[in-house]
Formats: sequence, C-alpha cells, structure tokens
Amino acid sequence: MKYAFFQGCNIPARIEQYARSTQAVMAQFGVTLEEVREFNCCGYPMRNVDEKAYLLPSARNMAIAEQRKQAIAVICNCCYHSLMTARKRLAEDRQLREEINLILSREGLTYSGTAEIKHFLSILHNEIGLADITKKLRYQLTDLPLVFIQGCHVLRPREVTNFDSSFMPGICDSLLRCMGIEAIEWHGKLQCCGGALAGINDELSHEILKQRLQEAHQAGARYIVCVCSYCYLQFDNVQLKIGGAAEIIIPVLLLPQLLGLCLGLDEKQLAIRANMTVDKDDTTFLAASLKDPEQLKKKNKKRKKEAV
Amino acid sequence: MSFDIFFSAAFILCLIGLIIRFSFWFSRTIDPSLCTIHWTRRLLSAFKGLIAVVFSSKILSILQSLFVDLLFQKRIFDKSLLRWVTHACIFFGFVLLFFTHAIGFFTFELFDYEYISTLNPSLLIRNIFGTICLLGVCLAIFRRLRSKKIRLKNAVSDWTALALVGLILVSGFLLEAAKMSSQSVYLEMVDEYGDYEDEEAEALEAYWITENGLYSPNFSGSLDEDTIALGMELNEDGSCIECHASNRNAFISRSLTGIVGPITHLIGDARSVIALRVLHLGLCLALLVWLPFSKMFHIISAPISLIITRVMKGEINDPVNGLNRQLIGLSACTHCGACTIECSSSMFYESFQNDFILPSEKVQHLKKIASGRKLPPQTLKSLQQGLYICTSCDRCTDICPSGINLRSIFLSSRYYLLEKNLTETSLLGNFSFPLALAGQYAETHLKALKNVYHLFRQQFPSLKSLTEPLSFSASTTIDTMSSTSCYSCQRCTNICPVVNSYDQPLHSLGLLPHQIIHSLGCGQLELAAGSQMIWSCTSCYLCQEHCPNNVELTDIFYRLKNLAINRIEAGETV
Repeated sequence: MKYAFFQGCNIPARIEQYARSTQAVMAQFGVTLEEVREFNCCGYPMRNVDEKAYLLPSARNMAIAEQRKQAIAVICNCCYHSLMTARKRLAEDRQLREEINLILSREGLTYSGTAEIKHFLSILHNEIGLADITKKLRYQLTDLPLVFIQGCHVLRPREVTNFDSSFMPGICDSLLRCMGIEAIEWHGKLQCCGGALAGINDELSHEILKQRLQEAHQAGARYIVCVCSYCYLQFDNVQLKIGGAAEIIIPVLLLPQLLGLCLGLDEKQLAIRANMTVDKDDTTFLAASLKDPEQLKKKNKKRKKEAV
Repeated sequence: MSFDIFFSAAFILCLIGLIIRFSFWFSRTIDPSLCTIHWTRRLLSAFKGLIAVVFSSKILSILQSLFVDLLFQKRIFDKSLLRWVTHACIFFGFVLLFFTHAIGFFTFELFDYEYISTLNPSLLIRNIFGTICLLGVCLAIFRRLRSKKIRLKNAVSDWTALALVGLILVSGFLLEAAKMSSQSVYLEMVDEYGDYEDEEAEALEAYWITENGLYSPNFSGSLDEDTIALGMELNEDGSCIECHASNRNAFISRSLTGIVGPITHLIGDARSVIALRVLHLGLCLALLVWLPFSKMFHIISAPISLIITRVMKGEINDPVNGLNRQLIGLSACTHCGACTIECSSSMFYESFQNDFILPSEKVQHLKKIASGRKLPPQTLKSLQQGLYICTSCDRCTDICPSGINLRSIFLSSRYYLLEKNLTETSLLGNFSFPLALAGQYAETHLKALKNVYHLFRQQFPSLKSLTEPLSFSASTTIDTMSSTSCYSCQRCTNICPVVNSYDQPLHSLGLLPHQIIHSLGCGQLELAAGSQMIWSCTSCYLCQEHCPNNVELTDIFYRLKNLAINRIEAGETV
C-alpha cells in the first residue's frame, strides 16, 4: 500500500526523526510513505490572519493527491486538522471551491473532493490493525512509566477531524498496550501544550507548557510520548529552553520511535538520540526495558505459580 | 588599436565594479544585531576563517566542492535534469569558447601550438562550443517562457543576461559567415597571397564558392567539376591551405553563408564584416562591463558561496562571518527561481499577490537594501510581509543551486526590517512559532509584537473604555450564527486552559470566552474583536468541543482575529 506522505514544514526541517521513524515502522507492515516534493504548507500558520488564504494550500495539497491517485498519510496533527478543515469547508461551500479551483487550474490542478486524508495512527490502528501489529512485534516495553499527550488538533472539533472519540480517545492507548505499555492516566493527556501561542504570547505559551510538565512530573512520568509536531517541539525543544518544570527535564519520545523499538528496529535508525531531551542514559534504559515476549510469558507463569 | 582602448576601458570598469561588489561583502548588513561592526573587523574575521579552513582537514572539502559543486554542479543535477543540461551547456560552452576562442592565442601558446583561427581545431571547436552554448541559451529561454504557471518570475535582467550571451553567439556566427562569404575579403587575400592567371583565378574562386561558401554575385566562370578540381589543386598547392582549413568544418557559419552572403552583399560585404565585428566585440565588452553589476557576478560569487556551504555545512560559529556569508550569498543569487518553485508558502502568494512571498523575489530586493538603496515605504511593507509569510521549512536553503543560506538571510532581514518599526500583522500568525523556537532576536520580536498589540488596542474599544451600559447594536456580525445559541452556562470559560492560567483572567484577557459570545449576541462585534482573549486563545478547541449548545467558539475566535487584522491592514478606525 502506498500513500502520499504529508510531512508539513516543521517535520522535515526540525523533526526529521519523526518522519524517518514513521516511514521505517510503516515499511515493516508493507506500507510505503512516498515523499511528495510538490506538497506545500498546509496553511495552518495563516489561520489567524486570513481564512481563505488558510484553506487554499490544503486544497492544493489535496488536488495533488487526487492527481496522483493516492490517499494522503499525515503525521502532523495541525496539518491533519487543516486538511480535514479544508475538506469540510470545501464540501459545504461550492462557491468557495469554484473560486479555489480557478486558482488551482492555473497549474493544471483541480480539487474534486475525493482526496482521502488519513492520520498515520488511523492507518496503524484501522487499516493494519492491532492483531497484525502484535504479530510483528518482537519486543514488549513493560514497566515503562510514561505519559502520553494526544494533541488537540487531531481530536477536536470531532465533526471535522473524525479521528477518534474526542472525549475518550482509544487509538493511541490501544497501540501502546500492544507494546506492553500502560500509559499513566494524567490530566494533561487531552490538554493543550501551548505551542500555538509560541511567538505570539511566549509568556502564556511557556506557562501552559510548565503546567503540563508539572502534571507529568507529579504523575510520575519517566518519559513523555507525543504524536503532534507542535507538542513535540514544545516538550522537547522549549522544555530545555525554559529549564523544565522545577528544573527536572523529562525526556520526550515520539510514538513511532517506541513502536520501532518494539519491532526490533535499530535505535539509530529511529534516531532517538536526535530528540534533544534524550541522552544516553535514556536510550540505555529503553533498551533495557525491551523484553522478549517469550521471556515475559515465562515470567508471568512463574508469577502465577508463586501466587498459587 | 582602437579595440585595445575600448578593451582597456571595459576591463577597468569591470575591475572597479568587482572591487565595489567585493567591498559590499564586508561593509553591508541586513542583520539588526550586527549593524555597527566595522568592515576591517569583518574582513579580519573572514581572513581568520579562511586560514582556519585552509590549514585543516576541511581543505579536502574544498577540493571535493571544486569537482562536485563547481564543475559537475551537483546541486542543479539533483533537482532538475533539464536545468542541469541547460546550465551545463551555457557554462561549458561559454567557458570553452572563452579559452579556445576569446583568449585562444594565449591558451594555444600554453600547449605550444600556433593559434590560427581559420585552421582546425579552432575552426571546428569554435562552432561546436558555440552551438552547445546557444543550445543552452535556447533551453533557458524555453524554460523561462514555459514556467509562468509555477510562479517563476522573469526579471528584465534575466532576459538581458540571456540576450547578451545569445547575441554574442549569434553575432559571432554571423561574423564568421560574413567573412566566409565576403568577396572583398576574398579578393584582398588573393591579392596579398596569390599570383594567378585569369583562368586559375577563376578556378580558385569556383572552388571557394562551392567549398568554402564564398558569395560572388558577378562570377562569370563555370562551376563544372574540372574547374573546381583545378581550384582545389591551386588551393592546396598555393598558400591558401596553410591558413585555411575547409570552411565546412565551421558547420554552422558555413551553412549560414547561403543567407548571409546575399544580404551582406546588398549592404556592402566589407562594411558588413566591419559592422558585425564591432557588434560582436562590442557585445563581449558590454558583458564584461555588465558582469560585476548584474546577476552574472554569480560566476565569481556562486562558487565561493558553494564552497562555504560545503565546508561549513550548517551555521558558522562566528556571527560576523555568518553575516559575511549572507552578503556573499545575496550576491550569488542568479534569480533562477528554484527556491520559488518549491516554496512551501507559494499558495499564500496566490492569496496575497505579494511577489515578496516568493523567496527569489525577496532576495532581489534584499540585494538592493544591502547595496544601500532606499526602497519606497510601500515596497518595504510588502517586503516585510513577504519575509514574514514564510513557514521556515528551509526548503529554499536546501535546494538553492548557489548554496545560499537563505534561511539565515531571511531570518535576520526579517528582524532588520522589523527594527525599523513597521507594524507586521502576520506576527500574530503561527509563522512566529519556528521563530520563537530559534529564539534569535527575541527582543526585536517582542517589541514588534507590542507595536501590533498597541495598534490593535487603539482600533478597538475595550470593556473598560465603555462609558454607556452594554446595549444591543445592529453592528455587522460575522458570518456564523452559532453564537446565538449560547445560554451562558460558562462551560467554555471554565474549561479554558488560558483562563485557568491567570489569577485575574478578566483583567488580563479583556473578555472571557463566554463574554465574547455574549457580546456577539448583543451585536457588539467591535468589543468582541477588541478583547485580548482572542489573541491568547491557544485554539485547543476544548471550549467548542464541550459547549452543550454547539457554539463554534474557537472558529468564531479565528473569524474575529481575521477581522481584526483586516481592519488594521485597511487602516480603518472604528
């Protein structure tokens, strides 16, 4: 299965490891994420300024996917949100679609509304399926105290994103459970990281991030796991800048990096050390937490016997 | 003699131009934090940097760069085969012509050959290289004409450069053809080097007409095989062959004689040869003079920029050298448009129709600023908007064939202009996110933000400034009616992470989320759009998701933000 891989602007420039690890993981399941140089910005940075200018780039991206006859696989939550918003708006507003198509026609593109947009997590969860993923996993990551943050724009508003339950999302938790991880329940899971305010109101942006870090720390998190590029950059990059919460730096991982480890991919291929908050101790700890499922079964049996 | 004078003048002008351009590298600035550094300090930094590279293992990278980047032009090859072929044709064609033709006497001497332009190999290779180069020029023209739909801009200087090179080549071919076909030139040569009977002279002329493209309108002799065979014998026995290989070697010029001969005959063939010679040499001198003042300067600056990029890879440690590199980079831009074609913000250009959103166009005007030219305020404002509407995806830097670090140029020039206190409303978009991450020029950024917020407060009323009690108003509303279904349960305000971040939220935010919706319900659009809350909204959509009556709060806030920016841009007052 081949998808047109939509990485947005931040990921190739600042979080390349996210794209590389996702591609490596998907390849394990026979899914190819093809890079498309013609894709441009999703429009998100323009949304505060002008709504129409915000919608046009996503319309072009979808038109390119239609021309390639490929579904779009997105890894950035905000890009996903923008594409889905454009899809909905253009389905509702025929006049706007015609207006936009007039601009697109100059470069031989048309948006007809058939483009499919999928978050890579949906591809993992719904298309590949938990059963197949579990079969492929070579290791489990048990006893790893981590918190997971979903990112706002992939969940809300639900009628636009159509991704998961916006109040009780389960996709990521079930993926983590496949890997043997029971993420710690914490207040920040569905909350904001403050990223959207960076550079517009830094003080508030940092304050919100600090609240999340404090909550993660209080929940006893050894790691924070992200799937959104804005969340990731806030937690990884900005956390270091503001010195963490109470001067404790919590290392940040990307979900496909964890999945890659469990699939037996090399830590270097997943570029875990490219995460700014991750040091050698963290990767050693992660490597030590990787357990062979057979071993685990024996261990569990032993435990049960002892209990009996 | 007179050519020598013109050549010397052109050469001196070129030298002066080069010195001016070199001096800009170390004296001009587009970086707000490095405005006051003296040029001697910058030159010294550059020199130190150079020494540090030359006496280290990095010297190997320079060698690698010479072959990979300069000769093979890998950066172009990686992106587009058509562009690579085009550039390689022009580059190799022109360089080879320069060495084997323009300064051929010198090059040949180096290899201990006597240079005679009418003998092989000169005759043949001149036509081969000329053809290759002309093919490149044609491909370049084709590319520029064709690529309008992908937002590639063509400037006058782009056409001038292509026209100059193209005309030099065409005039060269025409000159050669005119000389070959000219009867006056032929007769002069025969007078000087030959001594023939009438019959022999006729035979030789017949041979030159058929073989070498001579145009003799009054030729009365026969062109039969025997005469031509005799002519050929005379050509080979006499002194002709010593200096003249068959003109068929000059395959382009020889085939042009059929057209050029009759035309130049009408004008006067001797005069035409002189005129074409003046034209050809004049164009060459024009290119020489124009070189330092135009994009052709890239012949010098692009290799330097490419080497720096290969050696230094990312950023340079010494900020002074970073600035030097930016200025060298600006002078290395060829306006090829590769950056614009792949620019991630290209669709914003379609929306705003501001050329400066396209990276290649920004560079053209940043060059002007760097050379000290004053731009009109409207142009500066558009340039600043263009600089700001950039997603910092760094694609332009990745693909620039001249290896220009556009990323750092755009970053510092953005703040260079913001320092001049122009208000920039796009600061309030998420273009600011990567800038906040980079964390450079934080003070300038904050000051510029304050300017925008100040303007914003001036234009819209706040709750505090109202003296009359809030009443219903028929003021225009925004195009969503979902606000009317609000029943003031305040769920939005209670769940808002922004409201929860302040001890005194009302004081800090102007209006709370439910109050904004309430204001809209009362028709108080200006009041809603004037609250700080809309700019503090993180767009997390929690309020909208949790609203029991489906009020689209976050989307309404977006509309209010759009409206506020629109008003400020239009300079409207309420």
